[in-house]
Amino acid sequence: MRYFLYPGCSMEADARFYLTSLEAVAGALDIELQELPDWNCCGATVASSVIGDAPAQVMALRNLGLAETSGGLDVVVGCSSCYMNLSQANRRFQKDPHFRALASESLAAGGMKYEGTVNVRFILEMLVNDVGYERIAARVKRPLKGLKVAGYVGCESVRVHPWEFDDPEQPVALDKLVEALGATPVPFPLKARCCGSSHNLPQTEIVTSCSRDILESAAAGEAQLMVTPCPMCQMNMDVYQSDVNKAHGTSFNIPVLFFTQLMAIAFDLAPSTYGLKANVVAPGPVLSKFGVTA
Amino acid sequence: MAKKIGVYICTGCSIGEALDIPALSNVATKEKKVPLCKENPFLCGRQGAEMIKLDIAAEGLETVVIAACSPRINYDVFDFGPSTIVERVNLREQVVWTHPADDEDTQAMAEDYLRMGITKANQSELPVPYQAENMVKSILVVGGGLAGLTAAREAALAGYQVVLVEKESSLGGFVGRMYKSAPSRPPYTELEETPMAQLLAEVAVSPLIEVHTGTTIAKIAGGPCLYDVTLQKDGQESSLRIGSIVMATGARPYDAAKLGHLGYGRYANVITGTALEDMAREGKILRPADGKAVQNAVFVLCAGSRDPEHLPYCSSSCCVESLKQALYVKERSPEANVYVIFKDVRTLGRYEEFYKKVQSEGVIFIKGEVTGISEDGSKNLSVEFADLLLGEAASAEEVDLVVLATGMVSNTVDYGAESGTEECAAGNVPTVQQPMLNLAYRQGPELPSLVYGFPDSHFICFPYETRRTGIYAAGSVRAPMDLVSSMEDATGAALKAIQCVELTSRGAAVHPRVGDMSYPEFAMQRCTQCKRCTEECPFGAINEDEKANPLPNPTRCRRCGVCMGACPERIISFKNYSVPMIGNMIKAIEVPEEDEEKPRIVVFACENDAYPALDMAGLNHLGYNAWVRVISVRCLGSMNLVWVADSLSKGIDGILLLGCKHGDDYQCHFIKGSELAETRLSKVSETLNRLQLESDRVRMVQLSIMDYDKVPGILDDFAEKLVEIGPNPYKGF
Amino acid sequence: MADANASPGRLKYDAGFAREVYGLENGSYLKQCMQCGVCAVSCATFKIMDYSPRRLFALIRAGRKEQAMKSNTMWMCTSCLMCKARCPRGIPIIDVMHDLKGLALKQGYVNYPQAALYEAFWKDLACRGKVFTGGVIKNYVLKRGLNNLPKIIGQQKDVGLKMLSHGRLPLLPPKAPKGKKQLMQMVKRAQELEQKGAK
Repeated sequence: MRYFLYPGCSMEADARFYLTSLEAVAGALDIELQELPDWNCCGATVASSVIGDAPAQVMALRNLGLAETSGGLDVVVGCSSCYMNLSQANRRFQKDPHFRALASESLAAGGMKYEGTVNVRFILEMLVNDVGYERIAARVKRPLKGLKVAGYVGCESVRVHPWEFDDPEQPVALDKLVEALGATPVPFPLKARCCGSSHNLPQTEIVTSCSRDILESAAAGEAQLMVTPCPMCQMNMDVYQSDVNKAHGTSFNIPVLFFTQLMAIAFDLAPSTYGLKANVVAPGPVLSKFGVTA
Repeated sequence: MAKKIGVYICTGCSIGEALDIPALSNVATKEKKVPLCKENPFLCGRQGAEMIKLDIAAEGLETVVIAACSPRINYDVFDFGPSTIVERVNLREQVVWTHPADDEDTQAMAEDYLRMGITKANQSELPVPYQAENMVKSILVVGGGLAGLTAAREAALAGYQVVLVEKESSLGGFVGRMYKSAPSRPPYTELEETPMAQLLAEVAVSPLIEVHTGTTIAKIAGGPCLYDVTLQKDGQESSLRIGSIVMATGARPYDAAKLGHLGYGRYANVITGTALEDMAREGKILRPADGKAVQNAVFVLCAGSRDPEHLPYCSSSCCVESLKQALYVKERSPEANVYVIFKDVRTLGRYEEFYKKVQSEGVIFIKGEVTGISEDGSKNLSVEFADLLLGEAASAEEVDLVVLATGMVSNTVDYGAESGTEECAAGNVPTVQQPMLNLAYRQGPELPSLVYGFPDSHFICFPYETRRTGIYAAGSVRAPMDLVSSMEDATGAALKAIQCVELTSRGAAVHPRVGDMSYPEFAMQRCTQCKRCTEECPFGAINEDEKANPLPNPTRCRRCGVCMGACPERIISFKNYSVPMIGNMIKAIEVPEEDEEKPRIVVFACENDAYPALDMAGLNHLGYNAWVRVISVRCLGSMNLVWVADSLSKGIDGILLLGCKHGDDYQCHFIKGSELAETRLSKVSETLNRLQLESDRVRMVQLSIMDYDKVPGILDDFAEKLVEIGPNPYKGF
Repeated sequence: MADANASPGRLKYDAGFAREVYGLENGSYLKQCMQCGVCAVSCATFKIMDYSPRRLFALIRAGRKEQAMKSNTMWMCTSCLMCKARCPRGIPIIDVMHDLKGLALKQGYVNYPQAALYEAFWKDLACRGKVFTGGVIKNYVLKRGLNNLPKIIGQQKDVGLKMLSHGRLPLLPPKAPKGKKQLMQMVKRAQELEQKGAK
């Protein structure tokens, strides 16, 4: 199985450990991930407001044009916002002739052509549909028995194309993946609630407020650990967790891992691939009983 | 009169296992002395039915008593032709499925039911269908608007002669004045031509439809298949005989003169939706004040509707009509600003697509309440309103046209100067009615109305029905509705009118006792002219002759028996349903001695909801006490009070009436039978108290077929009460 | 709460601003709004919005431009998609919010830190083709003004240190894509075509 990987700006910067663990897990599952050559930023949730919807989508489409001319493999994306931008732009290009004309002309202005043949895949969906829970479970060498995990899916990835892969408000795929790793997914009603996104810099209290509700929901389910596929969510839940506690007088101490980190641990891959030093809320205590040192 | 009766006991469906069948047979052969009594393990099977048929032929049986399942089941299997009376005894749903097997009380119940059934069979006679001279099957359609034209066309297409009467000089009615109609076809976004042109063309060429315009109805006498209709045109009268009637006289817009608070009558640029429709039809939508173009328009929905001071009800189609008219304005000036101020936007069903279309054209919808309208020097209007979406006081300025969406009022109602809106607001029926049908009926010349002045009867179960047999109301005269519904309604009413003439010409009744050939007969020599039957008949079927005796009109009759229940002299009876018949059934019940401590309860259950509820309890195997003896009656209104006396003198401890709900939300299939029963019972309590009998011994409970789960509770509760009161002191007398 | 310019008297309905918004890329969807309010109760940040999305749309249709544009509503939107997924009329609400943010930036209704962040983000992205956190923060601080710097430092200091100590704060910008210039040419052309196509 071969795919292009679109890392997105976060995976190269504050979420590098997501990339490390993802590549390791892919290797363990015989998946070849090739970084999309010369990719550019997707615009996140910000660019479209500044330059307009269509222009921002054209920006995203450049990446798909690159993928098409470099072999046409499916493009796998790890970040929710990147997935939303790439996938929405792609669908619009494929379905809306007016936009297609505009986008084609715009891409041509930069010397590029896109025919709309590339598929954009979200990492979780790719693992579930192309690999399958069974194969993942079969690869587990260190079952995380008894570990209670809150599967924090976050907002965008399930709602870009509601119902195509999972329930847009109470998704279950991540929980089933956690189960495949031998751990126990906990009931977690706010699993698809927004973390506060880019408000962390301009108005931090929005993020601490949203994150507080989400952490509380996870704690109510007795979660010992949280996993997520989204770099923005990971940052807001993990790096800002002590701010949450300070602002709201709570005492959350729930380590937040990228789900690929947990997979790497369950697959018993080399400890250097776990990337646990990057997690701010120390995961060591919770994972120590599985013989893992952070 | 001893008739040749054959009794058949089915032992299937656990009846054989639960009862002592030989003992049961003895009740038939030894006690009741019937010449033939057989049992069969599968009576409704082919062999069972064959056996009975052979016996009827061979033994010359006139009457057959089937002791098996409920009379509501297998009535087709146990139908042996019009010359054989079939009496059903319910041993299954109301005995073995609700009571313990192999039990002496269950056995007693079964034996009593068999006694009662044989008694009833003995007294039943074959009904003779009512026939009269010159019964016709033609249909009179009153009203030449959308509903009337549709009813006429549909009846003619089905092959029936139609006479269409319209009081105006031309056909078309309200819809005939419309410019366009709201969408009735997918994708439900485009305005359409109204169905009127097509309909008028079809009616004009139909050889079966005779049209009379400029004509009113001077008088209608008689009944279904026998109506004598007198038409009046230009001072001349003409008569004809008619089979049944569809009344489609439509509705009219609420009088906007009463809407002065919304500027009507004060400012020229405030108009009604009807006026806008006229403008559109003439091709120009302009400010009435000065003929200038309309750039800003405001539609006010629910103008004088859903308002306790005007029409308290919703007129169903005005929202869609206003949306349509908003498009008229946009059609002429796409850049016009059009606002719709609403209480709700009632675009039901497919009209939601139309709502979206109108929104996409830029019409702005505001949930709000108009608080005032004023005019400036140049006749521009300012509409002030409470904007409920923004929670602020708001206004629309420089408005060229304000269109009030008024509701509709049934044309049967005359909201004259004195009566009208106050009564309507209270949900009462306005007392003044427009003369329309001029029925020569003792109970009044027009159809009685229900809520808000619309002539309706059983709005849930039976649309188009009115309280007059043979007359079917269709379209907006009977309830506010849109064009599509009116046409469907008219088609349904035409079908009912056809059913009526077909059944009546054969001497059969229409719903709910469809096919019933019996009808009330009067032993007039004992009549005391008390007028109870003529006044209480729910359908006004009985007139009065010059001697003040009741004059029955069998084709107007629904065979409910309310008259039979009302008559204190008991002179009214049906061939297969009479006061002495039920009285004898009661007397056939075996009442144990007081010391046996086994009370007996007679339950009169109406056949429409109560008896089926009892059957449903049986189907669900819900158990209850074995003291009850159920007698099915056509309607609780047919309950004659002498049966209470009969029961009590026989030693029965309690009498329970189970029937359909009455009141505002009534379910009684004969309109007010259940209510009448309750009124009569209240008079009985007085008599009982004088006889030193507890009035608690007689109880009435309103039941719907869905209340079957409450049946055991109701029956057992009553039994408990009777045990508390103690046995009937007249037992054993 | 920016209730600036709420007139003391009545709200006069004026279709002008509604038409302006309808002319935006996704603005004409607003015509379909039936004010059901599902977007409001679904919104992740609705509680701190001056006006819920529903109310904002009602204001737009009533013509209350100043009130609408000065509110914080669109700036609070995180693009979480809950509203868009649920809207019974299929209005792509987050895209409408993006359009309104764009309008606000163009017309100078930028009295919110989020507006500064958006402009800072784009400024960095435009010259790099990728986003560098350090660059964004630098732009943001400059946009907010140096007098805001102490407050920003106060808020983000802990976070910054944590990120740094956990190796999550890159000190150098990422490698720019070679096609950076072409990328910006594409964006520019797309903007031109969008302008032309706008009704």
